[in-house]
Amino acid sequence: MNGPFRAWPAVPISTPEEVYAGASGQAKEYPLYLESILRQEHNFSKPENLSRLRVLDCTVRQMIGHWCSSQLAELGAEVIQVEPPGGDPLRQQTPFGRKEYMVSDKERGEPVGLQFLHEMRNKQSITLNLETERGQEILKELAQHVDVIIENAAPGQWDAWGIGYRQLRERNPRLVYCWVGQRGQWGPLKDRPGELDPTAQAACGFVHGTGHPKEMGGSPMRSAMWVADHVGGTAAAMGIVAALFHRELVSGEGQFVEATGAEGIIRILDYNWGWYGMDGSIRPRYGNWDLAINIYAVNPCKDGYMMVGGGHDRLWYRIWRTVGMDRPELEDDIIADPKLRDVVERLPHPMQVKTYTQLADWLSDNSRAEAERKLLAQQVASGGVTYIDEVAEYPHFKYRGHVAEVDDALYGKILYGTTPFIQHKAPGRLKWMGRPTGYDNDDVYRRLLGFTRDELADLKSKSVV
Amino acid sequence: MAVTVKPKAFEEFCRDTFDPKKAFGKPEVLKGYRALSCTQYILGPSCASYLAELGAEVIKIELPRRGEPMRHTTPFNEPLLYPLSKWLPERGTGLGFFGANPNEYFISVDFHRPEGQEIVRKLAAKSDVMVENYRPGTFDRWGIGYRQLSKINPRLVYMWLGGFGGWGPGRVRASYDILGQAQGGAFGMTGEAEERGGSPSKHTIWLADYWGGMMGALEVLSALYWRETVSGEGTLIEYSQVHGVTRQLEYALPMYGRFGIVRERWGNWDTQLCVHGIIRCGKSSYPQSDNPQEQEVGYILVSAYADTDWAKLCDAVGDGKLKAKYARHDDRVAADAQREIYSWLEKWAADKTKEDVYRLLTEKNGINTQPVWNAKEVAEHPHWKARGSVQWIDDPHFGDVLHQGPAYKLSHTPPRMKWVLKPVGADNEHILTKLAGLSGSEIKRLEAEGII
Repeated sequence: MNGPFRAWPAVPISTPEEVYAGASGQAKEYPLYLESILRQEHNFSKPENLSRLRVLDCTVRQMIGHWCSSQLAELGAEVIQVEPPGGDPLRQQTPFGRKEYMVSDKERGEPVGLQFLHEMRNKQSITLNLETERGQEILKELAQHVDVIIENAAPGQWDAWGIGYRQLRERNPRLVYCWVGQRGQWGPLKDRPGELDPTAQAACGFVHGTGHPKEMGGSPMRSAMWVADHVGGTAAAMGIVAALFHRELVSGEGQFVEATGAEGIIRILDYNWGWYGMDGSIRPRYGNWDLAINIYAVNPCKDGYMMVGGGHDRLWYRIWRTVGMDRPELEDDIIADPKLRDVVERLPHPMQVKTYTQLADWLSDNSRAEAERKLLAQQVASGGVTYIDEVAEYPHFKYRGHVAEVDDALYGKILYGTTPFIQHKAPGRLKWMGRPTGYDNDDVYRRLLGFTRDELADLKSKSVV
Repeated sequence: MAVTVKPKAFEEFCRDTFDPKKAFGKPEVLKGYRALSCTQYILGPSCASYLAELGAEVIKIELPRRGEPMRHTTPFNEPLLYPLSKWLPERGTGLGFFGANPNEYFISVDFHRPEGQEIVRKLAAKSDVMVENYRPGTFDRWGIGYRQLSKINPRLVYMWLGGFGGWGPGRVRASYDILGQAQGGAFGMTGEAEERGGSPSKHTIWLADYWGGMMGALEVLSALYWRETVSGEGTLIEYSQVHGVTRQLEYALPMYGRFGIVRERWGNWDTQLCVHGIIRCGKSSYPQSDNPQEQEVGYILVSAYADTDWAKLCDAVGDGKLKAKYARHDDRVAADAQREIYSWLEKWAADKTKEDVYRLLTEKNGINTQPVWNAKEVAEHPHWKARGSVQWIDDPHFGDVLHQGPAYKLSHTPPRMKWVLKPVGADNEHILTKLAGLSGSEIKRLEAEGII
């Protein structure tokens, strides 16, 4: 299928007149000011934060490196994806093996899986066989021309090939060299097999803590996404930019960066470690409720699942007032309970059970839209659990360009999640969706290494590129 | 006499290069940089804290006395770090605050009062970064927003983080992490499949907050990089947490756009690879424990999607029938095949612990597995201890505290953890004397009037 299944958006994107209709001059002055400096349609008239940098992403099969270089590419770096001849195996991945849900580029008709394509944004693709000596020599030459190299080979593999951090820094002392993986390239777990997310999710405590408690019929649960790759990849990008910052301002030298999916999540597993360290507590799963805030939960409603949040008194009473308009007896029961008066007294488990029993009773009479309308009228943070078709059509996301469709020169119309790097002076942006395998061999090898057509043909015949 | 030094084995080299114990002997990337953190909850605070790990002087500004709401947030209202502040010594800071504010200086300022706003302006004139997460337009109204501060200090990188962003149809909507997950789309895709009796599931950590803060910090660093190397100018950054969540939905949006297919939940299995799923083992690893978390049966990720690994797995578990039937990955990754394969594996694992499965599959047969570890198993694992991923901190206020290490490692300028947090207003004298030129008696007066 070459064109979209149906036109997006199904409902037209709101106009500013519609969005701000009825708002007073004062109420819309600030939002309109923000729009004037932040709207993404102005992006291409502005510079980019990282436009002076060139990144060689040599990671294969894992998403963590691709995610990392996507962020750098959105912020303006020139990113060259280095793939083995034949392409990164991730290109072949498609849900349930369904080849009909891959897309093909218009020039070659080469199919690519959508997960890979979504993170190939703004990147060029070259092929290079690093398992050959000639390939390793070429990488050394490329390393002279780039600011950053990212790799995810088995720990020590590149070092053994003579193209690791220790060797490349001799040739290019300004190089920032980053290794990414699931659990790390040193330490007792370095050689344990298991290289793909959710390995990191399981190894850091995330899976154990996600999902419903056993008593509610639940089990530990992974994220649907390769979320450890996203978190670890973001951490890697942060480490890389920090290293570049230090290079430019202070040292003139690059350094060695290491980031893993597991440690990315360990960093953000809030109080898991503090709590365990204090009294040996092992954080239990608490499903769609929160151990530390009440009300702050997703519970079933008439047509799905509904989030309601009110961690402090002002919102607590507004929520019960809203409930009380339909069901005064539920509000009365909560307000009358002396054990629910103080914010912190609401946190023990029995009080959470009582709170959500009453709240879910009210929710069962309301659809997501009804509950949301009633709660938002009281300025209570709330919203339904939304599914992808709803996300794609959500008016706010369409208006701000959180979700957008690119008309890509190679891949045609692709709906995608846009960069959240919205900025006044030098915003992030999407330039193109992706490239077929080795599409940029001619350009990159000529531009950086001066290869002639004969040389490239020779390398190709020897399966080096 | 010449001595030949043998190149260090690679692992030894890494261990030495990234040794967390050596961090304090190395320089810091953001030495001399100052950030103000006028933030609450997790999204904004964590953003500033990643800068503090890199050496920036981060000044967290909270409302006087009680501080920000997250200090009053702790699991089941049990664990607390005392004291909350010098005004409220009998109360403590909850662990919700923990992990989002390390290495920072803490001052108290009431932003509503003109004298408080004047203090913020004085600090902002000498800062590189402002991180703020009040409702859009609030700081503008108080005269301490981007429009005003960028006039005082054009080099200021002004970072606003929040739920939906300050413009557009949803601009008035408040948000929390869980709402970001729910409305951004990640919540609806995560959890056990409908057909197996499951429901949408929250990522238990405040993912949209903590990871969103990381995305924000990445952009702040990039904006500082651009300021120093190119423009000399600051900027305004607006990070919407629902936007962040929508960015990470993988193939879901292109799949919907091109084929009209709505990505659904697939529980602990993987939509694109098989075998690559988490299975239930029938036995607990700690049947004698009195902790319900340990009494629970174990779970383990089994990963054998490559044809050779699949064959090894079938031999190890003992089923020639499935081995031939699903010899091709395209066949075994189909939905029906996954249902059959995982129920076969769980049946086999029904009389085993997760460690049994690890021994049988990984140690004996070289098949990829990863047990699902709980907080204790992670905190006590020598791998994470050696790498400083989880580390004891000798905190000046709270004593020995177990804490997470930084999310990434740098050889020459490592990020590091110095202290976990401080009481509300603990640095009022130090910071306000140094940066706002206040005298001791003025500070006393402002404290007495509740302005700081």
